[in-house]
Amino acid sequence: MKLLTKLTLFVTLSKLAIVTLFVWLLPLLVEKIAFQYTNYYLDQQKKKVLKVINQNGIDYYLQGDSSYGSYTMLKEEYISLEPARTILPDTIQTSQRLVEGDTLTYRVLNHEFSYQGKPYMLEVGKTTATINQYNRPLQKVALYVLIGLIAVTIITDLIYTRLLLRPLDVIIRSKLVNSKFPFKEHLQPIKTSTSDFRYLDESLIQLMNKIREDFEREREFTSNASHELMTPITILQNKMENLLMDDLSDEAQDRIIGMMKTLNRLKRIVSSLLLISRIENDQFARSETIDIKSLLQEVIDELQDRLLAKGVQLKLSVPTRVLVKESNRDLLFQLVYNLINNAIRYNKENGSIHINGEFLGSGDFVLHIDDTGIGIAPEAIVTLFNRFKKSGRSEEEGYGLGLSIVKSIADYHQLTLEVSSKLGEGSRFTLIFPSAIITRKA
Amino acid sequence: MKVLIVEDERSMALEMEAFLMKSYLCDLAFTAKQGMRLMEDNQYDFILLDLGLPDKDGMLVLEEAKKNCPQASYIILTARGDLEDRIKGLDLGADDYLAKPFSLLELQSRMHAIARRKSGLKDSQVDLGDFNVDLHRRAISFNGEDIDLSRKEFDLLSYLLLHKNRPLTRMQLSEHIWGNLSSDDYDSNYIDVHIKNIRKKLTVFAPADWLQTIRGIGYKIKL
Repeated sequence: MKLLTKLTLFVTLSKLAIVTLFVWLLPLLVEKIAFQYTNYYLDQQKKKVLKVINQNGIDYYLQGDSSYGSYTMLKEEYISLEPARTILPDTIQTSQRLVEGDTLTYRVLNHEFSYQGKPYMLEVGKTTATINQYNRPLQKVALYVLIGLIAVTIITDLIYTRLLLRPLDVIIRSKLVNSKFPFKEHLQPIKTSTSDFRYLDESLIQLMNKIREDFEREREFTSNASHELMTPITILQNKMENLLMDDLSDEAQDRIIGMMKTLNRLKRIVSSLLLISRIENDQFARSETIDIKSLLQEVIDELQDRLLAKGVQLKLSVPTRVLVKESNRDLLFQLVYNLINNAIRYNKENGSIHINGEFLGSGDFVLHIDDTGIGIAPEAIVTLFNRFKKSGRSEEEGYGLGLSIVKSIADYHQLTLEVSSKLGEGSRFTLIFPSAIITRKA
Repeated sequence: MKVLIVEDERSMALEMEAFLMKSYLCDLAFTAKQGMRLMEDNQYDFILLDLGLPDKDGMLVLEEAKKNCPQASYIILTARGDLEDRIKGLDLGADDYLAKPFSLLELQSRMHAIARRKSGLKDSQVDLGDFNVDLHRRAISFNGEDIDLSRKEFDLLSYLLLHKNRPLTRMQLSEHIWGNLSSDDYDSNYIDVHIKNIRKKLTVFAPADWLQTIRGIGYKIKL
């Protein structure tokens, strides 16, 4: 689940929980407050009554009667004064009183005191109905205000969370999703005041810089090593060539030939590695526009002798006037050459090759090279494009850098390279040219 | 013909000298300074210049050398892949360019091609047994009748002819024919196919016993 979703969910749910709790607690609280206030109010009334009794004297109220009673018109409150037997501490309780034939529930304060040596009992009462009369509207208003406030906080929370999390999205998009290995462009730190994101961003930049440096160092090494190897190889080759001119015994000659073959193999490995490293180092211009069909035709002409020698039939069904933009002719030539050369090489005598090109619905152009050759074992396909992996395909020499070169060139031009094969029946190499680099000449 | 080899790798320079001295007079220079001094005192037909000299940038050396020896033909020797240098080198008036590692046979073949280019049509006709090879037209003929050879077949024949009386290995031949695209021994087998075809096409007209198979090595044109 997305962090934003999680936070949103948490914020919303936690606020809902608070509302529920509040809704559940509100009546109890309001009731409790109302009762407490009533108790306080009754106590104040009691004090006022005692004050006026002290001022006016008790007889002013009793007027000869043994007791006094007074209530408001709607019997919402009453005060009564009567003689008592003993003096007990104050009590406040809810009880029923019969007032003029109406039985009403009152909150009653009971106070006993002695006046001029005689004990009296004072009762101050208030109907419970009046106590709770404001509860409902109060609760309603409180609830509305609360819901309003919560809605406002949820909205502000969401907006703020979104703002807060935006740098994370920027980091992921700019540093991880859209950046292509080996991270050539200079990385810009993002602008944020959140130190955690800055930390994440800086760590990522550091990591990517380190990867890039390591990668570059390795490429540089391969390139330098290959370069440095070339001179001694040249010297050796030239020495052997000169040696071969001398009058030698057959045996010596055979040995020199053997040495030359070995050296040649070394030379090819080094040259291939250097080529791959130069491709990976972006040292080839991609500035040409190439007609696929004429490129294929050129490669086929180049390999015509081999097709004839092996009796392999080649069928070329590729639409004309399909152009590849931003490409390097020499490299694409080599790519196609290697693929078709392999298709001949691993074909059966009198086999066939079918080169088929077509547009996909997406606008991409796909090129299939099918052969009727020996095929590739499934376990070998996985490592087919790896450098120095024996594919079991070429028994003579195991180091098939040819397909590694093919892969490098394909990658360099952002072509997708796929291979499928059935052992004993043939292989299909597929090149997909993305629509972005393909145009059709009118 | 006089050749100046400017190459800081001594043993490489010496091998080039050993190879070329059969047909050329060679001088050696291991630094740009030595090379420049030799150029001031001598007239050369060919100057073979390594771009990676220790004491001076190869491009500057070429520029200066062209002033001292404008009549010479220049072949730049450089590590493979210095594409920029290649383009610059050709712009500055180098006649050709050879990437290391190169075969001495290839070097000689380039020198011949340049010489032929500069001399016009003069040296382009060579007799080959009963046949006549026109390197300029890239054709072989018998009694004035052209024989149809494929491009690769003609390349092969003219390369063997250029290095006549010297056995060339299948590898050397395939490297010349397919260059960078030559991949491994597999290609060498096609040399045999081509030779077979050449023989077949020629012997219709006359015996071609000057084209010899050398056991264990490859082929040779014996004249």
